[in-house]
Amino acid sequence: MELFFNPFDNLLCILLGISFTVWFTLLLVFIIVPAIFGVSFGIRRLYMKTLLKIFEVRARCLSISIIAREPTSLEEEIKEIRRSGSNKDLDSASEFEMSDIFYFARRGVESIMDDEVTKRFSAEELESWNLLTRSNNNFHYISLRLTVLWWLGLLIRYGILLPLRVTLAFTGVSLLVFLTSLIGLLQNGRMKNVLSEKVHLMCYRICVRALTAIITYHDSENKPKNGGICVANHTSPIDVIILASDGCYAMVGQIHGGLMGVIQRSMVKACPHIWFERSEVKDRHLVAKRLSNHVQDKSKLPILIFPEGTCINNTSVMMFKKGSFDIGATVYPVAIKYDPRFGDAFWNSSKFGMVSYLLRMMSSWAIVCSVWYLPPMSREEGEDAVQFANRVKSAIARKGGLVDLLWDGGLKRDKVKDTFKEEQQKLYSKMLVGTQEDRSRS
Amino acid sequence: SVVFSSYSASLCCSQEGGEIRRLGKRFRKLDLDGSGSLRVDDFMSLPELQQNPLVRRIIDIFDTDGNGEIDFIEFIRGVSQFSVRGNQQQKLNFAFRVYDVDKDGFISNGELFQVLKAMVGSNLQDAALQQAVDKTILGADRDGDGRISFHEFCTIVGELDFTKKMVVDV
Repeated sequence: MELFFNPFDNLLCILLGISFTVWFTLLLVFIIVPAIFGVSFGIRRLYMKTLLKIFEVRARCLSISIIAREPTSLEEEIKEIRRSGSNKDLDSASEFEMSDIFYFARRGVESIMDDEVTKRFSAEELESWNLLTRSNNNFHYISLRLTVLWWLGLLIRYGILLPLRVTLAFTGVSLLVFLTSLIGLLQNGRMKNVLSEKVHLMCYRICVRALTAIITYHDSENKPKNGGICVANHTSPIDVIILASDGCYAMVGQIHGGLMGVIQRSMVKACPHIWFERSEVKDRHLVAKRLSNHVQDKSKLPILIFPEGTCINNTSVMMFKKGSFDIGATVYPVAIKYDPRFGDAFWNSSKFGMVSYLLRMMSSWAIVCSVWYLPPMSREEGEDAVQFANRVKSAIARKGGLVDLLWDGGLKRDKVKDTFKEEQQKLYSKMLVGTQEDRSRS
Repeated sequence: SVVFSSYSASLCCSQEGGEIRRLGKRFRKLDLDGSGSLRVDDFMSLPELQQNPLVRRIIDIFDTDGNGEIDFIEFIRGVSQFSVRGNQQQKLNFAFRVYDVDKDGFISNGELFQVLKAMVGSNLQDAALQQAVDKTILGADRDGDGRISFHEFCTIVGELDFTKKMVVDV
């Protein structure tokens, strides 16, 4: 009648308890404490180097080819078709050939099937495979070794990395909400600002670790200062976390409901962010007024804005909306470039919701990116907002190694001017006249 | 998507299911107003097509029933002519129809001029263009009727290695 304890049960409980404690301690020591103090043990970089080595080995062993067409110019291609005839009598050939339309016809159908602009909105295809099926649409069974490796990777990512990251994310977000609400109780003053800064930085750093984001900051001497506007290219909502873990910004955005809304409301207690009601977003003047009010108060933090208005897939920079360039404040451009080898950070909002996107992010290998702080720019004499915006955009595109596209990121499908068609016509005409001259010379 | 799957079931063209799905996706993306057929406006919303001097010819060729709109079947049939599995005859036919504006089976002097003018714009004089056109027709016209038939077209162009060039990934 004594209680029957199975000795194994007892042992199991003890083991579980110990492993839990160990796990938690490790987490605390290696991740959370460094996050609080902004120190890094370099574990993530070591991880990144290891991953790279594995991917390189894979890439050398096999080649998954994605059909890549070499870009040929108009002249090259038309001449190539002309020359391919077997019994071409050059003397009797005219400047114009009936085969010349092939080039335009093909280009036309190619654009119908897949144009440069629409391509920017879907994830960039990778040259070699990084063991994530989601990044390779043409996955076929290649070898047993590869499949085994893939399964192993899957196990590690979903079994070990994902729970770890979710725990961290949870910790980070709850700390943010809790601590900022606490700070909100303080009187406005230096103490509050200092504390708020520390708290924000700490929580963002925890979130950075929750995504295993390995970020390299360049040119930190150009970091945005109070009273300025920080402008960056937009690939995903993570951009915010990446930038905010290295500096303090005032965020701008629409008030959401749900968890997002809770976070927003508590953040604004600690320091002045700019949140708009949905109805206010439409009113451009109101938005501009609030932004310029904020900017004029030099004690307030720099505003963080993404002028493209939408997430682009990080191969190019699209047209910047001119609103933020109209206010007359100093603009601090920032270029963010993700390394696609480790995981695709692009948020295709038409395909994935926010939660499934975050889960995807947390089950990738890592998010590796580089951030460049560019020197501040101001609007020059005689320059209007659009020109200023374009100047900033080119600077960002150049620094980040992204293509500077003219097309509107909102892709309202506005009518493009005829000048582009006229350019093609000019090119073709030049070619025709050129061949005429060649012949008259010989 | 029910509509598209019934289309793919009834189509007897040489395309895999995967291709049809992709084409369907693309078609829906282009169909801005969701009307189920593409009009010139929908195509012209693509910046790269606006750049192409022959875009209206291409749309016209796709539009086999001539109602000014391209429905999904016409779209599939049109694009499939540029498939890697298409044969030389198909592609020659397409090229011929770029020139044959009135679809009467012959390329007339005026039609050739029209197409050349579209490609060149205002960069060359009309007189020079007309010269080039006359020369081409003279060289191609075997039966002396002053216009180029499909057979004559194939004789000039057929020996060129263009099949690879007229291929688009689907």
